[in-house]
Amino acid sequence: MAFNIYDFTSFTQSIDEALYEWLPPFWALIVEMTIIGLVFLIGYAIIGLFLVYAERKVCAFMQNRVGPNRVGPYGIFQTIADFIKLLMKELVYIKNSDKLLFNIAPFIVIIASFMAIAAIPFAKGLHAIDFDIGIMYVIAVTSLGVVGVLLAGWSSNNKYSLIGAMRSGAQIISYELSVGLSLLTIIVLAGTMQFSEVVELQSSGWFIFKGHIPACIAFVIFLIASTAETNRGPFDLAEAESELTAGFHTEYSGIKFAFFFLAEYMNMFIVASIAATVFLGGWMPFHIGSWEGFNYVMDFIPPLFWYFGKTAFIIWLMMWFKWTFPRLRIDQLLNLEWKYLLPINLVNILIMAFIVLMGWHF
Amino acid sequence: MLMLIMRHELLLVLITVILLLVEIFLPADRKQKIILPALILFGVVMILGFIPGPTGRLFGGMYITTPLTLLMKNILTVGVFIVFLQSVDWLKKEENREKISEYFILLLSTLIGMEYMLSSGDFLMFYLGLELATIPLAALAAFERFKEKSAEAGVKLIFTSALSSGILLYGLSMIYGTVGTLYFSDVVNGINGAPLQILAFIFFFAGMAFKISVVPFHLWTADVYEGAPINITSYLSVISKGAAVMILTILLFTVFSKVAIMWKDVVYVTAILTMTIGNLFAIRQKNLKRFLAFSSIAQAGFIFLGIIGQSQLGMTTVIYFVLVYIFSNLGAFGVVAVISNRTGKEKIDDYDGLYRTNPMLSLTMMLALFSLAGIPPVAGFFGKFFLFAAAAQQGLYILVLIAVLNTIISLYYYLLVVKAMFLNRSDRPIEYFKSDGYSRLGLAICIAGLVIIGIYSPIYEFINQFTFGIY
Amino acid sequence: MTSNQFMFLLFSAVIVIFSILTVTSRRILRAATFLLFVLVSTAGLYFLLKYNYLAAIQLTLYAGGIVVLIIFSILLTSHISEKLPTAGLLKKWPAALVALVGAALCIVVILQYNFPGSVVDTEVVNVRDIGNSLISYGEKGYALPFEVISVLLLAALIGAIVLAKKRKD
Repeated sequence: MAFNIYDFTSFTQSIDEALYEWLPPFWALIVEMTIIGLVFLIGYAIIGLFLVYAERKVCAFMQNRVGPNRVGPYGIFQTIADFIKLLMKELVYIKNSDKLLFNIAPFIVIIASFMAIAAIPFAKGLHAIDFDIGIMYVIAVTSLGVVGVLLAGWSSNNKYSLIGAMRSGAQIISYELSVGLSLLTIIVLAGTMQFSEVVELQSSGWFIFKGHIPACIAFVIFLIASTAETNRGPFDLAEAESELTAGFHTEYSGIKFAFFFLAEYMNMFIVASIAATVFLGGWMPFHIGSWEGFNYVMDFIPPLFWYFGKTAFIIWLMMWFKWTFPRLRIDQLLNLEWKYLLPINLVNILIMAFIVLMGWHF
Repeated sequence: MLMLIMRHELLLVLITVILLLVEIFLPADRKQKIILPALILFGVVMILGFIPGPTGRLFGGMYITTPLTLLMKNILTVGVFIVFLQSVDWLKKEENREKISEYFILLLSTLIGMEYMLSSGDFLMFYLGLELATIPLAALAAFERFKEKSAEAGVKLIFTSALSSGILLYGLSMIYGTVGTLYFSDVVNGINGAPLQILAFIFFFAGMAFKISVVPFHLWTADVYEGAPINITSYLSVISKGAAVMILTILLFTVFSKVAIMWKDVVYVTAILTMTIGNLFAIRQKNLKRFLAFSSIAQAGFIFLGIIGQSQLGMTTVIYFVLVYIFSNLGAFGVVAVISNRTGKEKIDDYDGLYRTNPMLSLTMMLALFSLAGIPPVAGFFGKFFLFAAAAQQGLYILVLIAVLNTIISLYYYLLVVKAMFLNRSDRPIEYFKSDGYSRLGLAICIAGLVIIGIYSPIYEFINQFTFGIY
Repeated sequence: MTSNQFMFLLFSAVIVIFSILTVTSRRILRAATFLLFVLVSTAGLYFLLKYNYLAAIQLTLYAGGIVVLIIFSILLTSHISEKLPTAGLLKKWPAALVALVGAALCIVVILQYNFPGSVVDTEVVNVRDIGNSLISYGEKGYALPFEVISVLLLAALIGAIVLAKKRKD
C-alpha cells in the first residue's frame, strides 16, 4: 500500500482492490460505501466544529472582542462543549405541527449537503466520485437543500418560521441562477464539467488568471450569489434574528437544530471548496508560467494543504462579508439578483465565449 | 435559399420579436397605437404566405413542408387574421389596454406552434409545436383574470392540456420504445400492429382527442369556452381545433397508415359519439358561448367522417371542411363578440328581435349558422356533403345515416337562434349600435368566404390537387 | 443479486410507494414532499443507467425547481391545519378499479412485447456529444427543437407576465 501525500490515486486504488479480493463484489461495494460515508461523517464533525469556532473568532476579531477563551487554550474546545450541550438538550415537540415533515426537514438539508460534498476533489485521487458532469451535479444537489428549509418553516406552524422559509425560498431560487451561470462561464473556458479535469487544466495557471476579466467577474458574482445561497449574512433574511427570532428553525431544538446549524456551515464549506476548485485551482499548487524554480518549490507543498488553504481563504472572505455588511431587505435582495447580477452574468458568458472563440485566453 | 422553406414560421417569429421590442420602448399611454401596425404587419405576412415558394426538408427531416402543409398554414393564417380583426374592439377596452401587445405576441406564438406542428417530421417537433400551440392559450383564456370565470377557464385549460399531453407522451414513449426512433419516416416502417403499439396508438389518440375535444374527452370544452374571453373562445374552437384536426389527419394517413384497420374502428365510434352527444347537449344550452362550444364539438364529429375515408377524397374534404368551418364559426363568434363587447349580453334569449334593431348583424349570424347547419346556398352544405361522400365511398352507410340524422338535430337548434333573432318579439331588444370598422371587416371576410367557397367550385379542385399522394 | 439490481429494486420500490403516497396523502405539502422523493429516485435510476447528464437535469429541474415551486405555492396558499377532503366511496372504488385495470393492462401489454435484448454495456454519455447534437442541424441534430423551445419559453414568460400584471387603478 503505497501512501503518497502528493497523489492518492494508488492509495485509494489499493484499498479498493484489496476489498474486492477479500469480499464478493456486492459486499465489497457496501463496505466501501460505508468506509467513505464514515470518513465524510467524521470530516463533517471536525470541519463543522472548526468552522463554528472560526466564525466566533473572526466575528470577535471584527468586533474588537476576544471571543471564546475559557474552554481549552484560546477556547478551542468551546464548540465541542457547545456541541455536547446541544446533544443533551430536550427535543421539543410542537403541538399542531406536521410531525412527519417537521422531522424530515433537517435530514433533507443535511443530505443535500452530504450529496454535494461527494463530488469535491480534496487532492489528486482523493474524491468520492468523479462525475463527468461534476459541476452540474453539485449545482443540482445543492438546490435540494432549500426544500428542507421550506418544509421546516411550514411544518413548524409558526408565522416567523413561515416568513423565514418563504424569504429563503425566493432567495435561493433566484441566486441559484447566478451560481449556475457564473460556473457556466468557467465551464465555457474549461470545456469540461469534470472536477478532476477542471483541476488538471489549472496546472499551468488558475482559471481566475487564465480567463482575464470575465473570470474575475464570474468569481465575484459566484462569491456574492453563493453567500446568498447558503443563507449567510448579509443575505441571512431567512433567519434574521432581529425580526424573525431565528426564521425557519425557530421551533427546532437539540440535535435537529444542530443539523441545520451544521448544514449551514457545511454548505459554506462546500461553496468555498467549489470556488477554490473552479476558480483558484483546487488542490493544484500555485504555478507561474515558465518560472520553473518557483513552480518546483511550490510543488513541494502537499495538495491537501493547498486545497484547505484556498478554501479557508474563501471562508474567511465570506465571514468578513457577514460581519461587515448590513443585512439587505428582501426587495433589495431580489433587485440585486434580477436587475444586476443576472444581466451582468449573461453578458459575461457571451464575452467569455468570445474570448475562448478567439483564443485570447492563456 | 434554404431559409425560404421555413418562411411562414420565420416571418411570424420576426413579427413577434418586432412587437416585443416595440412594446418595450412604447410609452405606457400609447400602447393602443400598436394595434394597426400589428394588423398591417400580420396582413403582409399573410399575403406573403400565399406566394408560392420552395418546399422540402430541413434539419435532417425534422421539418418538412409540402404544398399541402403550406396550404394548411395559409388557411390558419387567414383564420387568425380574422380573429385579430374581431378582437380589436375588445382590446381597446379600458381593462385590456395594458396588455395589447402581449395579446398579439401570445396569439402569434400559438400560431408559430401550430405551423411547426403541421410541418413536423418527427414526434419531438410535433409535441413541441403542440405545446407551443396550447400553453400560451391558457394565459390568454385567463386574460381577464379578474373575472372569476376567465381565471377558471385558464386553470381548466392548463390542467386538461397537461393531462392530455401526459397521455399523448406516454403513447409516444411506447412507440419510441418499440421502434427506437422518433422520425415519422422511420416510425412508419417500424409499426406492425403489435399489441403494445396499438396501446400506444390509443394513448396517442386519446391525447389528441382532448385537444380536438372529441366526446369522451370533451368535458373541459364548455366551461373553458364560456369563461374565456370571446375572441379566445373563437380562436380555441376554430384555429386550435382546425390545426389539431389537420395534423391528426396527416399522422393517421401517413404514420399510422399500416394500422388503419384498427384506428378506423376508433374513429368510427368516436365520430358517432361526438356528433350525437355534442348535438344533444347543444340543444339545452342557453348561453351562446356554451351553445357554440357544443356545436363545435359536434362539428369535430363530422370531420371524422372525412378522416375515416382514408383516401385523397378524405384528405381534401377534411381541409375543405376546416376552411369552411373557419369562416362560418368565426362569423358566428364574430357576431357574438360584437354584441357581447357592446352590451355584455350572451344569452340566446337576449337575441330576441335582433333583426329589427341590427339587421346586418342578424343576417351575418344567420348565414354563419346556416353554413354550420349545412343549408345549401352557403359553403357549409358542400363541406358536409363532401364529408358524407367520403364516408359513403368506403361503404359506411350506417355512419352516414347517423350523421344525416345528426345534421337534422343540429338544424333544429341552429334555427332556434335564427328564430329568436327574426321571429321572436322582445320588449327590450338589444339596441341599435354601429360596430367598429375592424369587426365589420372581419365579418365581411367571413361572409365573402362563405359565399365564394359555396358558389365557386374550383376551390375544391384547388385543394384536391395538393392532397394528391399524401396518404 | 448484483449491486445494480439491488439499487434498481430499491429505487423502484421508493418510486412506487411514494407515488401511491403522493396521490393518497390528505395533506398537500406531504404529497409534494413525497413527490420529491419520487423524482429524486427517478434521478437515481438515471444514474444507474450511467445517464449522468439526464440525472443531473432531473435533479435540477424537477427536484430543485418544480418541487420547490410547488411547495412555494402551497406555502403561500394553504394553512397547516388544512386537509384535503376525502372522496366518497362511490368515487374512490371505481377510480381505484380503473387505475388498477389500466395499470394491469399496460403492464401486461408491455411485458408481452418482445423487446430486442441489448447486450451492449451501458456507457456514459459524454456531455460534449449532447452539447454538439443540441446545436447541430443535420440528421439527428436537435438545433430546431432547441430554438423552438426558446420560443415556447418566451411565450410562457409573457403569459406569466399577462397573468401577473397588476390591475390599473
